[in-house]
Amino acid sequence: MSSGTLIRSVRRSVRPLVLVAGVLLALAAPLSLNGFWLQSGLFAMAAAVSAIGLTLLVGRAGQLSLGHAFFVAVGAYGYCYLAGTSSADGVRGLGLPPLLAAFGAVVAAGTAGALFSPISGRLRGIYLGLASLGLVFLGQHILKNAIPLTGGFNGRDAAPLDLFGFSFSDSDPAGFLVLGVPYGQLERLWYVGLVCAALAWWSARNLLRSRPGRALATVRDSEVAAGAMGIDVVRYKAAAFVLSSMYAGLGGVLTALAFGRIVPDSFGLSASVAFLVMIVIGGIGSVGGAVGGAFFVTLLPLVLDHYSGRLPFLSPPGSEGLDAAGLSEFVYGLAIVLVLLFAHGGLAGFLRRAATALRRTPGRDTDRPSDDERAPLRSHTAKEPAS
Amino acid sequence: MNEFLGFLVNGLSLGAIYALIALGFVMIFKATSVMNFAHGSIVLLGAYVVGRTHDEVGFWWAALLGILAAAAAAALVDLIVLRHARGADLGTLAILTIGVDTLLSTELTREMGTAILDAGAPWGTSTVHLGGTSVPLSRLVAALVAVVVVAVLWAVFRFTHWGVRMRAAAEDGTTAALMGIRLGRVAAGAWAIAGVLAALAGVFLTSFPSPGISPAAGVTALAAVPAWVLGGFDSFPGAVVGGLVIGVVTALSAGYQEHLLFLGRDLAQVAPYAVMFLVLLVRPSGLFGSKEFARV
Amino acid sequence: MTTTAAVDAQPVVEVEDLRVTYARSVQALRGVSLWVPRKGVVAVLGNNGAGKSTLLRAISGTLGQEGGTVTDGSIRLAGRPVERYGPSAIVAEGVLHAPEGRRVFGTLTVEDNLRAGGTAARSRRARAEAGERVYALFPVLYERRRQRAGLLSGGEQQMLAIGRALMGSPRVLLLDEPSLGLAPLLTERIAEVITEINREGTAVVLVEQNAAMALRVADLAFVLEAGRVSLQGRAADLAGTTEVRDRYLGMGAGQRPAPPDPGQRPVPSGSGQLLPPSPGQLSPPDAERPSPPDVERPSPSGVAQPSPPGAGQPSPPTAAQPPSPGAQRKGTAEAGSAVHELVVEDVSVRFGGVQALDRVSFTVTPGSLHALIGPNGAGKSTCLNVLSGVYAPTTGGVRYGDHDLTRLPQHRIAAAGISRTFQNLALSPGETVLDNLLVARHRYMRTGFLSAALRTPRSRREAAEHRAAAERTAALLGLDRLLHSRVGELPYGDRKRVELARALCAEPGLLLLDEPVAGMNHGESLRMEQAIGTVQRELGISIVLVEHDMRFVMGLADRVTVLDFGRRIADGTPAEVQRDPHVLRAYLGDLPGVTT
Repeated sequence: MSSGTLIRSVRRSVRPLVLVAGVLLALAAPLSLNGFWLQSGLFAMAAAVSAIGLTLLVGRAGQLSLGHAFFVAVGAYGYCYLAGTSSADGVRGLGLPPLLAAFGAVVAAGTAGALFSPISGRLRGIYLGLASLGLVFLGQHILKNAIPLTGGFNGRDAAPLDLFGFSFSDSDPAGFLVLGVPYGQLERLWYVGLVCAALAWWSARNLLRSRPGRALATVRDSEVAAGAMGIDVVRYKAAAFVLSSMYAGLGGVLTALAFGRIVPDSFGLSASVAFLVMIVIGGIGSVGGAVGGAFFVTLLPLVLDHYSGRLPFLSPPGSEGLDAAGLSEFVYGLAIVLVLLFAHGGLAGFLRRAATALRRTPGRDTDRPSDDERAPLRSHTAKEPAS
Repeated sequence: MNEFLGFLVNGLSLGAIYALIALGFVMIFKATSVMNFAHGSIVLLGAYVVGRTHDEVGFWWAALLGILAAAAAAALVDLIVLRHARGADLGTLAILTIGVDTLLSTELTREMGTAILDAGAPWGTSTVHLGGTSVPLSRLVAALVAVVVVAVLWAVFRFTHWGVRMRAAAEDGTTAALMGIRLGRVAAGAWAIAGVLAALAGVFLTSFPSPGISPAAGVTALAAVPAWVLGGFDSFPGAVVGGLVIGVVTALSAGYQEHLLFLGRDLAQVAPYAVMFLVLLVRPSGLFGSKEFARV
Repeated sequence: MTTTAAVDAQPVVEVEDLRVTYARSVQALRGVSLWVPRKGVVAVLGNNGAGKSTLLRAISGTLGQEGGTVTDGSIRLAGRPVERYGPSAIVAEGVLHAPEGRRVFGTLTVEDNLRAGGTAARSRRARAEAGERVYALFPVLYERRRQRAGLLSGGEQQMLAIGRALMGSPRVLLLDEPSLGLAPLLTERIAEVITEINREGTAVVLVEQNAAMALRVADLAFVLEAGRVSLQGRAADLAGTTEVRDRYLGMGAGQRPAPPDPGQRPVPSGSGQLLPPSPGQLSPPDAERPSPPDVERPSPSGVAQPSPPGAGQPSPPTAAQPPSPGAQRKGTAEAGSAVHELVVEDVSVRFGGVQALDRVSFTVTPGSLHALIGPNGAGKSTCLNVLSGVYAPTTGGVRYGDHDLTRLPQHRIAAAGISRTFQNLALSPGETVLDNLLVARHRYMRTGFLSAALRTPRSRREAAEHRAAAERTAALLGLDRLLHSRVGELPYGDRKRVELARALCAEPGLLLLDEPVAGMNHGESLRMEQAIGTVQRELGISIVLVEHDMRFVMGLADRVTVLDFGRRIADGTPAEVQRDPHVLRAYLGDLPGVTT
């Protein structure tokens, strides 16, 4: 038996064990994690769901979007509007059951994606990227001005989720205990986050290996070839935006629930860029990579800030030296540059290469092609059509 | 009517500043196919160096220092970072520049602290009365400088050997390399020129009537993005026209804000993007941009 | 051994065992050795994809821009190894490369184009002198010096491209397909220019499809085939060999159009006329074919095909094929498409000022293999792009049975049962072979986004069914062992077969093939030929085959349409077309010794 076969068989038997252990750990996490970690984890899971949507759009369908935060905002505000109630300060709400509201928010985000299709269907590459940048600014304007819907500059509260009388908040039932640990809003929402993230991961992986997933990849690699194979290119390009926006919408609902109150600033340009950075660091097109990238980008500033007191080289905020926020910005910027320059394919690509190196047996040492070849974003620019 | 004329003149002069920034975007894009999100930081860097040094060396030397610093910084971004990612796809390159921007702007923000520097330009806060409206002198100087810069650029590109090489490389790098044109030098040169333009824009962007040099200037510089897009990504005339259009749109939507309240507050911040969408719907590659074709 | 001084001279460029790989997997050159005598003219011939342009790019140091690398071998310039030099260093050594397709800077004036070309000139004076020389050589460029280069005609652009390279005062000039798309008269002019440049002391490496012109101006010639030198020798000698004629006229395979000209001396293999007579290189390329291209042997297909010369009727079915009057299909057909007649009527296509197709008409009878041939730039691929809906014709129309395809979007044309392959491969390199094949089943499948995301039982069942269909197609083309490899990892020949398999997986009634053997070596192209023959026989579908390699087409096609400069210059059975004087001229120019 060659070492390769051995490794493979070990992997095969180990993988389910790892999976089960991971699931158990995730389920048990609220029993031991404190509020900071639960909250941070929730933010990361919300970001992961949105990032999965973006990696499908950019990595699979090859459409560059700098406006992902806009669709996340539609989901977040959509949920708040549909589930919330009208209040005295002019902010309105429909007061729908939260589950229905969440569903409606996802649909609303998808609709927003569809409404963008007249532009997304015509443009590609850099043109599409910068046009979608406009969405962020447009979104900010709407969020700050459509006060009945959004609460304006100060934002609005998110109604707590409840399922068949069980509320994902600190009350209803109040004083809820699991194994002696009090389960409040964060502990309860943790499971909502887990379910949403798992669902997003599973469905995205399914999509990648399906008829629509293959169609999107073909559209990405050659629109002409896609057309020749009977794929309606215009429809699929629009569908890719709708699909990714729906993931963004779900991520937005989670974000709203995790924050409890949402403000326009959470959905600005830097958020849009952050989503892009997540999928690039993780490896464009890889679902697992998007999740990893989301955790890295989301947790980095939170964790550095949380532990800033214990890092001797950090100075307090506002002083001359390097504070936690500054450090996390530096790490963030450096991570982007280093990953893009030295780790082609992001973390996912790095892991894949490592696995390939491990698996490689003597006598089967064919060189893998560079990951550049799989670069999903390609703009075919030519001054004249080739005849 | 006078009011309108005032807005128009203000808008055109603001547009001249945007045009300088947009020209830098075009320059970098044509030479290296990069959409440079670090441009805002370079604008900020130029302004910061001027603000930091003018007390000691006087405004004109400070301006020269700022221009050199921005040009060097831009060229270094190309040489140190982007050179190692040539041929990567647009998204990767764009995100790389975002990474660079994060590093640069974080450092600048740290350097600046909370103090707001001013550019210390000799024209200060004076205004000029033009046909019944008042226009800040700095804006008029900006417009004049922009006109001169555009004319000089045009002449350099048109008449010098260096300009011919630059144009040849921008049109078809592969073929230009066959003539012995060094693409690396052309690229670094283009970035440096874009840096010069950025520093000039930075000085005017932070002069009166703006409050002064603060990290926000880097973000303000992004307002030139719609100017770049609607002009067409690879068109110098497009950048100038786009800049002027966006400047005028911004000035008008700010000026008539009270009459446009039904469209929301701070309309001036979003109006440029709305105009950009409209243009892209009709002309997917901007007003003057060259079309993209699918290659079979 | 040789008589001409030019051939004997000390070589200025020596290429030894050069190997070049693109994207780390595609081998474009597999050990090419050749040399350029000082002040000599060397012609490099070969089919599309044989590696000619790659060779020039390797010499000029510009492989990197296309993702290619020299993996082995050496290039020496006047004795100095330069294979690791960058392009500007090569230019400084006096080697200038006028690339394929002219590539003039269209937005620059003629004058500025020349200035850009003078980048490497040692001094202002050298540049001015070079400029004067260029204007003296091409007076038309002087007249047009203030015009934008994009507005020049094709011939003028070619002269500008050559002039631009001359601005660097080259010791060695590399010319890639200078006659491409030019009318015979202009081709003649280019030939004169090359001779003139050479007379002034510049060595020229001439890559050409127009073999006759190239062999006339060259001292030495090398023929590339699939990245190797398959034939070499003095140009004058090569011009007379059967090998060269076979390759460029498809006169091999026992289908010579006319009895061999008694004045023409066929060069037997291994003859001392060719230099150097390295064994193996001179074996006839058709050695693997069932019928060796022996000149004396009576033509078997000539016997089997009693079609009277010049008859305009559709070709009778060849002996090998079942009489296939259309829609009979065998083999897999759960989801296949009906086979209809394809009628192309007066189709014209215009790109800006270029007339790519000019009132082209032809009809493809159901179940037949119809070849579309012509020199590079004749409009073959444009025609295929019109048929598959990539381009809309400016005027004219295309009908397929009852479907009017003229303005249909691509995917609707695909839905009518028309499938195609691409000349430059349009596969998804990051996906597996299986996934690439399954894309072709798209229109037979129904799974949408929701059921795919949820992996419903129906979607799983459907996926399994179509996977089976894709596996069957893969087996038909011998790809079954590669199903789970990523396409980007496969060698070129396999990728070509994956493309064919993908097109077949769509179970078309009409299959459009765009240069299926471009870049393949003889063995690979033979296998492809057999595969296409099998496909057509087994499935009874119509095939439109665009091909540059005439020999390949002649053995397969029922009917041939020949395009040149966007116009149809001949249409008929292979035998008829081969005799057509227009066709001979389009392909060969006026090669001495060929009866036209």
